[in-house]
Amino acid sequence: MPATILIVDDEPDLLLLLKIILTEKTDYKVLTTIDPHQAIDWCREYHADLLISDLRMPEIGGIELLKIVKEIDPKLALIIITAFGTVESAVEAMRHNAFDYITKPFRKEQILTTVEKALKWREAQLSA
Amino acid sequence: MAGGPTLGLTRSSCRRFWGNILKILNFLKRKKSSPPEGWENFLRNKHQCFKDLLEANNTALRVMSRMEAKLAGDFVFDMEYIRSRSEIIFHASQTLIEQLNALGDNRYAELHPVFENIKTRIQNEIQAGTTSGEKIPRVLPLSQVDRRLLMAVGGKNANLGEIKNRLRLPTPDGFVLTIEAYHLVLAENQLAERLGQILEKVEVNDVAQLLDQSRLLRELVLAAQIPSQLSKAVHEQYLHLAERLGYEPQLALRSSGLYEDQELSFAGQFLTVLNVPVTDFFPNYLKVLASQFSPSALVYLHEKGLIRQELAMSVGCLAMVPARASGVLFTVDPLGGRAEAMVLDAAWGLGPSVVEGALTPDHYTLAKKPEIKILERRLGNKPIRLIAALDKGGLTSEAVPAADQFQAALTTEELLQLGRYGVQLEEHFGGPQDIEFAVDLEGKLLLLQSRPLTLLKPENESELPPEIQGPHPVLIDHGSVACFGVAAGPVFIIRQDEDLARFPPGAVLVARHTSSRYGLVLHKASALVVDIGSATSHLAILAREFKVPSLVDTEKATQVLQNGQEVTIDADHLRVYQGRVEALIAAKREKPSLLAETPIYATLRRVLRWITPLNLTDPTVSNFAPASCKTLHDIARFAHQMAITEMFDLGERVGRDQMNLVQLKTTIPLNLYLIDLKGGIDADPRAKFVSPDAITSIPMKALWRGISYPGISWAGPIPIDVRGLYSVVSRSLTGPMPDFWARTLAIISLNYLNYNSRLGYHFATLNAYISEVRSDNYISFRFQGGAADQARRGRRAQFLGTILARLDFEVEVTGDLVVAKLWKYPRPLMEEKLDLVGRLMGCARQRDMVMADGAQVDWYVEAFLAGNYRFAGEPRAHPTS
Repeated sequence: MPATILIVDDEPDLLLLLKIILTEKTDYKVLTTIDPHQAIDWCREYHADLLISDLRMPEIGGIELLKIVKEIDPKLALIIITAFGTVESAVEAMRHNAFDYITKPFRKEQILTTVEKALKWREAQLSA
Repeated sequence: MAGGPTLGLTRSSCRRFWGNILKILNFLKRKKSSPPEGWENFLRNKHQCFKDLLEANNTALRVMSRMEAKLAGDFVFDMEYIRSRSEIIFHASQTLIEQLNALGDNRYAELHPVFENIKTRIQNEIQAGTTSGEKIPRVLPLSQVDRRLLMAVGGKNANLGEIKNRLRLPTPDGFVLTIEAYHLVLAENQLAERLGQILEKVEVNDVAQLLDQSRLLRELVLAAQIPSQLSKAVHEQYLHLAERLGYEPQLALRSSGLYEDQELSFAGQFLTVLNVPVTDFFPNYLKVLASQFSPSALVYLHEKGLIRQELAMSVGCLAMVPARASGVLFTVDPLGGRAEAMVLDAAWGLGPSVVEGALTPDHYTLAKKPEIKILERRLGNKPIRLIAALDKGGLTSEAVPAADQFQAALTTEELLQLGRYGVQLEEHFGGPQDIEFAVDLEGKLLLLQSRPLTLLKPENESELPPEIQGPHPVLIDHGSVACFGVAAGPVFIIRQDEDLARFPPGAVLVARHTSSRYGLVLHKASALVVDIGSATSHLAILAREFKVPSLVDTEKATQVLQNGQEVTIDADHLRVYQGRVEALIAAKREKPSLLAETPIYATLRRVLRWITPLNLTDPTVSNFAPASCKTLHDIARFAHQMAITEMFDLGERVGRDQMNLVQLKTTIPLNLYLIDLKGGIDADPRAKFVSPDAITSIPMKALWRGISYPGISWAGPIPIDVRGLYSVVSRSLTGPMPDFWARTLAIISLNYLNYNSRLGYHFATLNAYISEVRSDNYISFRFQGGAADQARRGRRAQFLGTILARLDFEVEVTGDLVVAKLWKYPRPLMEEKLDLVGRLMGCARQRDMVMADGAQVDWYVEAFLAGNYRFAGEPRAHPTS
């Protein structure tokens, strides 16, 4: 069964780029939203394997979102997207069990590799 | 009449003569007088300005290269990236201008307004690409619209507002229903969620299901109630419009999607309703909104990967133009024919007949330079025209009187005026434009829209497959290309719309004409071949966006080709072959990633249009001036060149006793001048030439050792393959040839070197400081440009980068730019490295032209490192590579 990936970012441009990259040559099921609340609902609804989230969003920040979704599914893999210069916050996210972080701007190979690793981690968690 | 200079002069001319003499004397006096801060401080300050200018130049070019590299289509970035990098380039450009003016006693103040103008253009594009937090009115008069409101009024309206309000060119008057109006309609009718749910399930490969989903979506929109506040606002704007015009006009309602007419054209996907009486306004407004869910629009959105958030429609409402004639103007020949030529199609009556390819329009080619003139005139057969229906609104077609069918729809003066508008619009929007226009019954020209033109010339000629002779009969051998490329598949002839539902994936779409309804299946088609139609039609534009090889105007495709027959289309050579021609198919180009076609990439491309193109290349021509700077790259180039000139002039001005400007006596054709700040040269201060032995500057001496190393050739041509030569020639055709051996300037002191060299098309700078204090030592080297095409220049950059990395430099290669740094090595090692950089600069000369493929780079790297500086045994590129 193809992996389900949720992406939340307050910039629709970024959602579109990520959706294209993650669906162009793979069979991942990708859902995107600008609304972190919807991402939380989707986590419950779709049993997602991976959540990719921006670190800085107006209503719920990436770290807060991380804490909430980890309560819903502790084995959910999480990748944080961060702007250059806010790496400290990304490190903070890692302390809250994010799988990895990636700094904008980045190449599509970078996100594809990180996603692949995160999904392997998720698989290992589920079979443990 | 003979005599001295003053003979025959009037009293006033005598005064002028002596005035000029006084000026010269004053100049000479100034030249000799010492500046208030003293010569040493004066020189130090100027040198500091120069260093700051170089630093700013390097920053600007580095960031430009990185931004340009993002366009390759494999990066993820956001608006913040575009904004922040543009700010860095603004800051660097500002510094360049300030420091140049400080160097040149404010002689370049003219650069300030030029810079401000370009900066405003860029800021407008950034603002246009940003969702504004401000509340925008639901209805706005067209007089208040420009590109800054792109996200509120959509691409088509934003461009039209720009034409009307910034360029002050004639357009119809009108008003705009913004995206806020669209959102209000959706919100008041609780539609957003319902539409979203259906959109999530859209299936573009099942035509029957797609038609159902499209119908459902459109029915929901068409049944919407118009909120009273919107109806009131529209009524008010209509009354204002009627007041301005002096009559109550019928309206043309034109769709303006969020990204329409930007890099994504959405050509013909959304509805335009002409001749709408105000009493029928809202049903027609809803029809335009619903058109974004037409089956072919849904396919387009799906193929472009656009998600729900991108769907929003603004509508332009313009006073209807009862058109005598109308047409389309392309400001470059999209077929890549004559350089500097525009093409124009025109027909009688209103526009849709031209753009839908239902007749053969008049076709013109216009020259752009040195003045607009008609190069070619081909009158078409125009048996029908569309006109506004008198009573009920809408359009009706009528027969054109026989005498007029082959008559020109436009007068010569109208053609020339359109040509002038075309040049103006291209200049304003920063690239080739696709312009729709109409001429009203009084002969007044009106511009209806302008959007970026999709060019269809193949990017790399060398990849074109050869023409095939042999076992495959040629079924069609003429027509016009609408999209280059090669494809094969079974023929599927569309004779009526019902046939679309049965269109099989991978088939070759064959039809009588270019209807935009065929957009519904274009994504499934391997190629498109039609009997009648133009490369300017909406379907042709879509074909280019979907990269579907297409031939139009073949006259006989529907007669010659049979359903199910396997054929190969070679649009590059205007041929359709029977059967699958594997030799052609194997050479076909891959479709590029969708990433590069997203709105954020489009914004970056629009921003970079004002940043990276280089128009000023030759400092010896008269237009090498601030007024000719069209981009920030031009400003950087100009400032850099002038700064070097200023440094030379400084040498002249200060005099030999204060600053030593000398030319190096050498057989190497570098035209190298040295400015010695202190301790860099040991020679007679009055000497105009010095030999290399006189150099005492530690870094210059080391670099010179490398430059003059035995076996390094600085003169004469190097063997180039034909394609390498072609790439150089084509580059020199697209831009002026620079002065080949321009002066090279080195500013030196005992421990310091700043070396600036421009050889032909490439440019190298090197900064170095070498002393006994290891922690102070550094070398910084950058190299950019070349005469060959981008790929070859990139390979030379790889060649340089790889070697420098092997020499322990920290290296960054972006496109054809190489930046390399090395620091904190002890003096002997630093000298050794500089020596090698000198050898490398000589070896890299013209090496871009010979690097025909990536594999050669490794060979050259190894040859250099082995000391084979003449590259004996040089590999030859494969003739077809």
